Amino acid sequence: MTALALFQTADLPPLTQPVIVAVAVVYFAIVAAIGAWATRRTRSASDFFVAGEGIGLLALTLAAMSATLSGFAFIGGPGLVYGTGLGAMFLLLPAAVTSSMGAWMLAKRMRLLGEVRGLLTVPDAIGARYRSPLAQGLSAVAILLAVIGYMATNILALGLVIDAIFGTGLGWGIWLGMGIVLAYSVAGGILAGVYTDVFQGSLMAVASVLVFLFTLKAGGGMDGLSRTLLAADPEFLGPWGKMGPMAALSLFFVFGMGSLGQPHVVHKFYMLKDPRKLKWYPLLMTSALLVTMLLYFGVGVAVKALVVEGRMEPLVRPDDATPLFLLRYTPVLLAALVFSGVAAAIMSTVNSFMNIGAAAVTHDIPVSLGRRVGNELLWGRISTVVISVLAAALAQASGTLVAFLGIFGWGLFASTLVPALAIGLNWEGATREGAVASISVGLFVTLVFETLAYFRVYSFPTGVSVAGAALVLSILVFFGVSWLTRKGAGAVIDPDVKLVMEV
Amino acid sequence: MSKRSSLAVLVVSTVAIAAAYGSAFLPDGPPRWAPWALAMGTAAIMVASMALGAARRGGVGRLALPFAGVFLVLAGGFAAALLLPPTDPRDPTLWLGLPPAAAVVMYGIGLLPLFFLPLAYALTFDEMTLGEADLARVRDAARALAPGASHAEPARESARAAVEAAP
Repeated sequence: MTALALFQTADLPPLTQPVIVAVAVVYFAIVAAIGAWATRRTRSASDFFVAGEGIGLLALTLAAMSATLSGFAFIGGPGLVYGTGLGAMFLLLPAAVTSSMGAWMLAKRMRLLGEVRGLLTVPDAIGARYRSPLAQGLSAVAILLAVIGYMATNILALGLVIDAIFGTGLGWGIWLGMGIVLAYSVAGGILAGVYTDVFQGSLMAVASVLVFLFTLKAGGGMDGLSRTLLAADPEFLGPWGKMGPMAALSLFFVFGMGSLGQPHVVHKFYMLKDPRKLKWYPLLMTSALLVTMLLYFGVGVAVKALVVEGRMEPLVRPDDATPLFLLRYTPVLLAALVFSGVAAAIMSTVNSFMNIGAAAVTHDIPVSLGRRVGNELLWGRISTVVISVLAAALAQASGTLVAFLGIFGWGLFASTLVPALAIGLNWEGATREGAVASISVGLFVTLVFETLAYFRVYSFPTGVSVAGAALVLSILVFFGVSWLTRKGAGAVIDPDVKLVMEV
Repeated sequence: MSKRSSLAVLVVSTVAIAAAYGSAFLPDGPPRWAPWALAMGTAAIMVASMALGAARRGGVGRLALPFAGVFLVLAGGFAAALLLPPTDPRDPTLWLGLPPAAAVVMYGIGLLPLFFLPLAYALTFDEMTLGEADLARVRDAARALAPGASHAEPARESARAAVEAAP
């Protein structure tokens, strides 16, 4: 249930109002202008995939934040809080720690490996760490599978938002949304993505703070909200909400440790111009994430209190919480900014996925097979188009199939990349056999058990998610196989990689 | 905390989480210890991961304090959430606008680490993460190993020497 709620697959209430349409048009025009600017600066595969290793700390932070938060933070998340209470916050609470954890485990090493080896992708780092084309290829396959599913869910969500704002119908909304992201992604690569993310991330943060203030005003402050909810539904404000401790803690584990295996975020460390600027990355990133999450918490709690008080009718779908609150309790200009912010969040996530998916096809899989594509920039652009069209077609084909694809995307990233990449870059005793085995286990467990659950053949008991089980198993297999094959493990690490691991 | 002890905690905490998950498959559902194993395992695995990433040959040095602090915040917050009784809805006690258990979770686990963990990273960055000398050593090694650098084997030796020189 929780996983299904992560993705926007149902219609939004109609938002077709002149101010909302006008703000959305201005927003898309700004994105197009940034795309055009970036296109002129994209001349090589390095520009296309890693922004020529030339972005600053603020751009890195806002781009990583925007890629982390999809439209879920604005629509699905508040709906999840409305439906399940504070337990839904366990999905976001790890953000207080994850940026620091990622900085210590990955940021410096990824950035330095990128510089030393001229790496373009996350599987590149796995290949370099283990001198293993097989590990690189397997991780690229896992990323590609997850990317297509993830992109399909996000493009469907973007189609729903565009349909709600412009009244285009879902089909046209999907293809229009995909076309806009594709235009700036193909032309300007990740450079366009990063600088649109800077714009989009700033918008998301400002909108989140303003909406949070309006939720407090509508509910009579935190005290007023709590008293209303405690009188009607005390369990809602219990520490686990309506989820129970196992399910809530499982969310914390999966979204905490799993954050180390999200390639669309980790990949951005390659792009930082000066690695010493990483010093302030955790502070900026944690603050940005927490600010942006105010809306997630505030709207979910406030709408529940308003429904309890009879000032709003019970929601037909939890995902209506944000649109209905904005339309009724905030100025229309702010509502318009948030709806553009939702589109912004989805587009920045899609752009990041397009980029890493294209890199898997044109770079990682050929490299793992001992081949190199001649013109990676050209083929990167072509594969971006192909992957996007495939994902958009999937999005249009079936809502439930799309939700299914999106569910295993996140877990697949976590279970295949956390052990081999995050632990492997910090432990010389990890072996290529351990890496290959853990990636294989992550792939197998996630695909098999998510499929069985989707077809209602078999589901794990309450409190155990497939993503969590796959992550735990892949970590255990990684340690176990590395220990069994430990003889000479450190000796097979290239000296430059070893230096990056030691520093 | 050394790399070795960080790894040991990582393995043990992963086993604890696996045991909690495994216990959910029992016919009567998860026993009372299962949420505790999941809570403590999750707190420990996240701190051990940070320590593994931060540890150099001499361990985590001054970072031991913030790491201990974040473990206390996470483990203590989870424990409080598991132990604190529900608030009386007729006469609720509120801490900063939330019932006590919810406040511990939201403000403690979700907010408190922001005030010291990123600062610990920044304030120890030059000494523990990436000083100018570290960066220069990596760049020297990269230049020595770059394609076209003469005498590949001596270059590898120089990189190995740089590894040996790492603190």
